[in-house]
Amino acid sequence: MNLFRAELLKLRTTSLWWIFAIILVPLWGVALAYNWLAVEVSFSSPEANMENVGFGSLETVVSGLYTCGQFGGVLLVVLLSAILITSEFFHLTATSTFLTTPRRELVVIAKMATAVVIALTVWLFTTLLNLAAAPLVLSTVDKPSYLGETFVWQAIGLNALAFVLWALLGVGAGVLIRSQIGATITLSVLYVVGTQILTIVFTVLSQTVWEPLMGLRVLVPTLASELLITGPMLPDDPPRWVGGLILLGYAAVTAVLGTLITRRRDVS
Amino acid sequence: MSRPDYAEISVEHLTKQYAKVRAVDDLSFTVRSGRVTGFLGPNGAGKTTALRMILGLVTPTAGTATIGGVRYVDLTDPIRHVGAVLEASSAHRGRSARNHLRVICRAAGLPDQRADEVLHMVGLNTVGTRKFKGYSLGMKQRLGIAAAMLGDPRVLILDEPTNGLDPEGIRWMRDLLKALAAEGRTVLVSSHLLGEMQLLADDVVIIAAGRLIRQGPVDEVLGATAGAARVRVRAPEADRLATALRDAHLEVAVSPDGSLQVTGAEPARVGHLAFAAGIELHELTGESADLERAFLELTAGKAGAR
Repeated sequence: MNLFRAELLKLRTTSLWWIFAIILVPLWGVALAYNWLAVEVSFSSPEANMENVGFGSLETVVSGLYTCGQFGGVLLVVLLSAILITSEFFHLTATSTFLTTPRRELVVIAKMATAVVIALTVWLFTTLLNLAAAPLVLSTVDKPSYLGETFVWQAIGLNALAFVLWALLGVGAGVLIRSQIGATITLSVLYVVGTQILTIVFTVLSQTVWEPLMGLRVLVPTLASELLITGPMLPDDPPRWVGGLILLGYAAVTAVLGTLITRRRDVS
Repeated sequence: MSRPDYAEISVEHLTKQYAKVRAVDDLSFTVRSGRVTGFLGPNGAGKTTALRMILGLVTPTAGTATIGGVRYVDLTDPIRHVGAVLEASSAHRGRSARNHLRVICRAAGLPDQRADEVLHMVGLNTVGTRKFKGYSLGMKQRLGIAAAMLGDPRVLILDEPTNGLDPEGIRWMRDLLKALAAEGRTVLVSSHLLGEMQLLADDVVIIAAGRLIRQGPVDEVLGATAGAARVRVRAPEADRLATALRDAHLEVAVSPDGSLQVTGAEPARVGHLAFAAGIELHELTGESADLERAFLELTAGKAGAR
C-alpha cells in the first residue's frame, strides 16, 4: 500500500499526467464527431436497414457513441502505463526505487495498480462525457437515449475492462522495452498504424492462402479489444468474450514476463 | 562466540562476470562500524559494480555481500538500515527535490516531514521546491546525501560522492562523513581522489582489475608500501652532493629539474652529510609517504591487465 501511494505521488509530481489529460479532450472530441457521423449515416437514410448485429447495426452505432474516446483514451493509458516503468530507467530513478524496495516484483505490482487507477480514471472521465453528449447526439436524429437498454451498459462496462487490460499490457510492454522512446514509439505505431496494416495482412492472407485466417485477426490486440466492446463484425467472428480473453492473455504474458525480467535484471 | 557487528559490511568471494569482462573477481573485505572506509581503485577497477552488488542492484555471479550478516535484499525496511548515494543525477528532471524525497518516504513508510528534515540537514531547505533539472551537480550530490539519510541509517555507502563538489562542498562532505562515523555508523566511500581520501578515511580497501590489492588502516597501508622516507634536495654542486650521499650508502636519483631524490634517510641526515662535505644546499624537503604514491605503486600494471 505504501508503494502504491508512492507511485501515485510519483505520477502527481510530474507534469506528464496533465499533458496527457489535455491531449485526451480533443481526442475525445474527434471520436464524438466520428460517432456522430456514424449516427447520422445509419439513422437518417430512409431505407435504413438496421440489422441486429454487425457493422452499422443499431447496437454497434449506439455502443460506439457511448464508448467515445476509447481509441484515443486507451492509447494514452497504454503509453502512460509504459512510461511508469520506462521513466524509472530514463531518469535513472530505478536505483533509488529498488534501493527503497529491493523486492522488485512489489514495485511492478504497485505500478500495475497505478496503471489500473489511471485506466479507470480515463474511462470514468470519457464515460461521463459520453453520458452527457450521447443523448444529445441521438436527439438530433429523433432517437431515444437507449440508456434503458442492457447493451449500452454492457458496452460501457466492457469498455472499462478493455481500459484496464490495456493498462496492464502497457506496464508489461514498458518492462520488455525499457527504452522510453522505444517503448512509446513501438506502442503508438503498433496501436495506431499496426491495426490497419495487420487487418490488411489478414485480409490478403485469407483471400490468397486460406480463408479462415481472417478469423485469426482478432489475435491483434486492438482488434481483440474492438471485438470485446462492439461485438462480432463478421458472421464468422468469435463471440465477445474471446476478444477479452485474448487481451487478458497479452496482459498476463507481458506482466508476468516483465516482472520476472525486472527481478533478475541488473540495475546499473 | 562474540556478538556480531550489526553494522559491519562483509564481502566474501564476490565475483561478477560480464560477457567479456570479470568486473569483480573473488573480492573479499570487511568494513567496520565507527570508521570511514575508503574504497579505492583506478577507473574501471570494479568499485561501482562491487557497491551495486552489496546493495542488491546487481546480482553476483558468485560470492556474497552482507550487512550485519544479512543480504541487502533480505533487510526489512532497507533504507532504515542502509543509506546509499550512487549517482548524482538520479531523480526525475521534472520533479522537485522535496517531492523526490517524499516519494521515497511514502515507499518506505517514513513520515513526509523527514524530507524537510534531511533537506535542512544538507542545506537545501531553501531550494527544496525547485525542480531537479535546475540543480547544479553539487546540489545533486547534497540531495543524494539527503535521500540516503532519510531512514537515519547505521550504514552509509557512497560512490564518488565528492564528484562535482567545489572545495567548500568537499570540506562539508568530509566533515559530515567523519561526524557520521564518529556517531558509530559504518561509512564506506569510494573515490579516486586520493588526497581527499587521505584526509577522510580511517581504513582503506584498494582494488584493481576487480581484485583486492590491500585492506587496512590508512597508516598501515602507507607504512607498508611507502617504504623508507624520501628527501628532495637541491644544490648548485649536485654531482658532488650525489657522490657524497652515495658514499654514505644512500640511494640517489637525479630528477629532470636537477634536484636529487634521496631514499632511505631523514632530511636531518642528508643535511648533515652535505654540511660535512661542505656543500651548499638550496632546498631540503622531506616528502612524507602519501596515499597517492602508495596507491600508484600498489596498482601499477594491474589496471592494464584487463
